Amino acid sequence: MQQETELESVKTAKRDTTETRRRGAGQWAVAWRRFRRNKAGLAGLFIVLFFTFIALTSPWLAPYPPRSFQSLYEGEAGQPPSSKHPFGTSRAGIDIYSEVLHGARGDLYVGVGATVVAVAIGIVIGAVAGYSRGAGGEILLMLSQVFYTIPLLPLILLFARVFQIMVVRGFGLTLILLLLGFFGWSTISFIARGEILSVRELDFVQASRSLGASRWRIIFRHIVPNILTPIIVTATLLIAGNILTEVVISFLGFGDANTSTWGITIQEGIMYMRTEWWTPVFPGLATLFAVLGFNLLGDGLSDALNPRLRD
Amino acid sequence: MKTYFFTEAGVVKAVDGVDFQVGKDEAVGLVGESGSGKTVTGLSVLRIVPQPGRILDGTIEFEGEDILAKSEEEMRRVRGAKIAMTFQDPTTSLDPLYTIGNQLVEVIREHRRELSKEEALEQAMKLLETVGIAEPELRVRSYPHELSGGMKQRIAIARALASRPMLLFADEPTTNLDVTVQAQVLELLKGLRENLRMSLVMITHDMGIIAEMTQRVQVLYAGKVAEVAETHSLFRKPNHPYTEALLQAVPRIDQRKNLKVIPGNIPNLIDPPPGCRFHPRCPYAKELCLQKVPPLEATDDGHLAACHFWRELQLTGV
Repeated sequence: MQQETELESVKTAKRDTTETRRRGAGQWAVAWRRFRRNKAGLAGLFIVLFFTFIALTSPWLAPYPPRSFQSLYEGEAGQPPSSKHPFGTSRAGIDIYSEVLHGARGDLYVGVGATVVAVAIGIVIGAVAGYSRGAGGEILLMLSQVFYTIPLLPLILLFARVFQIMVVRGFGLTLILLLLGFFGWSTISFIARGEILSVRELDFVQASRSLGASRWRIIFRHIVPNILTPIIVTATLLIAGNILTEVVISFLGFGDANTSTWGITIQEGIMYMRTEWWTPVFPGLATLFAVLGFNLLGDGLSDALNPRLRD
Repeated sequence: MKTYFFTEAGVVKAVDGVDFQVGKDEAVGLVGESGSGKTVTGLSVLRIVPQPGRILDGTIEFEGEDILAKSEEEMRRVRGAKIAMTFQDPTTSLDPLYTIGNQLVEVIREHRRELSKEEALEQAMKLLETVGIAEPELRVRSYPHELSGGMKQRIAIARALASRPMLLFADEPTTNLDVTVQAQVLELLKGLRENLRMSLVMITHDMGIIAEMTQRVQVLYAGKVAEVAETHSLFRKPNHPYTEALLQAVPRIDQRKNLKVIPGNIPNLIDPPPGCRFHPRCPYAKELCLQKVPPLEATDDGHLAACHFWRELQLTGV
């Protein structure tokens, strides 16, 4: 009898192991377990989620519409923080609290969007440069180096101004997004190329070639997914950089004057910093925390996804 | 067949005039030390020699068609469907990101577009059963890292067999496996070859596997053919000093002798030694070996051997 129960328990144990093995701990689950232990990374994730929430809901969260001077008509321009205007109002009558919320939407749009464009271009160029040895790869590598070395900010400012005047009026922030994306892919392409050079030598790439897979299938189904983790990390850090660059562009007055961004508000308030400190300080703090958040998240991801650190 | 690698250090003559034939249902062994050109021969037949390698000249015929004349597109329909290859290291020959089922379905549908994913998955499970994997319905959902080396090698074999190729190159299928698992994998390959009536090329440096698995052997040394013979005959009486040396280097359980090693290393293939490439390591080398490349000649035993002195030498087999 006792033997029977023992047998039974052995059976159940066996079933349990097959059950867990069937589901298997995917690599994302493993990464999340590692990430969870990293306090700075978690803080970054929290900040990023917080800003994402604001960006998605700002039209409903903010008491005033974007770039609205309504406070001026209410006779409340240039006021310090109060219960009605938690971050005060600017000299021109803009509610800074609303502006910071709307700015999160604009700046995250540019920061994330430009990164998506840069990653897409960078992966394609890096993948082809890494996979095809020979002249084509060399040329693409050189192109990446050119884009890596030229000073981007003045070039983007120039293009932004020229385009705004000549070609695409009313394109708004999307113009800045595209410019940042088109000029900012070189780091991604370097990483993609370097990783591909090592992954392409692995047997499974050769194996799928030997079984008749086409070049594109090999690159985009077997190679690119295997190099995604370092790209995800770099992309997260790139978002932070793009947000910062957008703030600089807007601050310098080359952005879109009709959309709320942190840079515009900082620029409008910086002249009156001594008397009305709240106008530039709050959007400045928002920039600081957003950039910090993405950087912490990127570092956390890098630690969690790096196979060399895996215990 | 000649396949050279054009590196910055010079031209590596990895495969330098290797001719060989595989008959229908035949099992042929390609044997030699590391760097003798075994793997590159396999890759050349599939035309997947990695850059900077190039197949320089020669003909590769399969079912009467010239493989080298085919377009890349036609070649893709040959790879996997007619000729397939399995690779040395089972730990890296499966993509770590996809489940076993996914990877098998991909290969099955590559050559049979008309199959739905479900049908292909069913095929995949049948394949897993064929290669002796228990509980295929669970295994198709496993990732490679959840499996043992032996299982991975079985799955790699299943994947190579997915489209019922006529010819399979098995590149050192047992190198990275335990001895017990090695035996199982060899048994599996043997059974599969008989059941599926396919031709097999065993690429290995292990004379034991050659004896076990093949009917004919081709011994490669430094990118050239040293000897070709029926397996039995080759073991009994080698006609080339290199073959003899390889046989002497196999440990024997019935003889209490020290293992003989072959002195020296395989030569640098950028600048191979003049004359017979084996002469610096050959115990029987004479003046002539230094000066003249030995031709591959038919010997009295029905072998082909590339040695000037096959007539004079009395070489011992096992």
